[in-house]
Amino acid sequence: MKLHSPLILSALALSLAACGGAPEEAADVSSAEASVIEQRQDNFEAIGDAFKAIRGQLEDGAPDFAAIAGDAETIHTNAGKIQDYFPEGTGIDSGADTEALATIWEDPEGFAGAAEDLIAASQTLVDAAGTEDLAAVQQAVDGLGGSCKACHDDFRLDKD
Amino acid sequence: MSGTSVNIWDLPVRICHWSFVILIPALWWTAEEGEMGWHMRLGIVLLGLAVFRVLWGFAGSSTARFASFVRGPATVLAYLRSMNSPRDPIVGHNPLGGWSVLALLGAMLLQTGLGLFSGDPYDGATGPLNHLVGVMTADSLTEWHESFFNVLLALVGIHLLAVLFYLAVKRDNLVHPMVTGRRAMPGEAGGMQPVPAWRFLLCLLAAALFALWLWIGAPPL
Repeated sequence: MKLHSPLILSALALSLAACGGAPEEAADVSSAEASVIEQRQDNFEAIGDAFKAIRGQLEDGAPDFAAIAGDAETIHTNAGKIQDYFPEGTGIDSGADTEALATIWEDPEGFAGAAEDLIAASQTLVDAAGTEDLAAVQQAVDGLGGSCKACHDDFRLDKD
Repeated sequence: MSGTSVNIWDLPVRICHWSFVILIPALWWTAEEGEMGWHMRLGIVLLGLAVFRVLWGFAGSSTARFASFVRGPATVLAYLRSMNSPRDPIVGHNPLGGWSVLALLGAMLLQTGLGLFSGDPYDGATGPLNHLVGVMTADSLTEWHESFFNVLLALVGIHLLAVLFYLAVKRDNLVHPMVTGRRAMPGEAGGMQPVPAWRFLLCLLAAALFALWLWIGAPPL
């Protein structure tokens, strides 16, 4: 007992330190699949960052409509790529580090529809930002956020 | 060591300490695995315990009180200079260890405090106070929450190295007393002065109510 506890503690500290890096890929996922997962996560990450910037503009009081339009364009472009990033075998069942539920492949029409909703919602926001009508932009932002949420609810693992 | 065995750490201090030992790795793990529901539940428990420990630092038994172990830099330096000379064990934290307690407690409070505001309502979980700040502020606080963990980890590492140093070099096992609350003291040295249980219950209630209030989004009182 006298020696064990500090040893366990230091082992714990070392294992914590060792685990600080990037999460390692599961062994049974090929590098091609891991790479497409990484690309699609970067794609969603960029959508998320752009949407964050848009909401930040709206909280600002005097939003920069050109900036909002630019970020909405980014979302629109990336939304168009979403479906290409979900080949079979890149879901959560593959053991990869992903939250992509099997429902994506079980309900391909539903998933395609959800991606189309984001494409349409981001186009609506681009158009609204062009008119510089704050109420229309706010409404379009809410619609865009709704399409994010709706797709996450159906096709992304929820661990909250 | 010959002498009498005396109480040096009360039960609340030990429960807090070992809860932190369990909760910090658990919080790291739940964050890493994206188990944000559990991450937030465990996080509010850690926050509540850290708040309790602060209250206990004013109302607890003698060795738990900040006033008994937070010393000025001169005392810390004198303690470091006398590291090689033999001396009787201290009942409570030594002058350097006291600052370690403050640093670790402060880091845990800051880290859990940042977590309260973290997240994005459109992308997974949000801390219970996320709605009180703007989306860009929340984004910055989330990044700080992620990077400040490394500071907390470094402080834990220093703490563990110090404990190892006392064990290996000074032949002084600090872990055993933190488990049992007791250690052998030479001669007739007295242990800590305990306080009545109602003080513990009062601090616990206050900390729990505060944590609960944060958990439900800090509504106006």
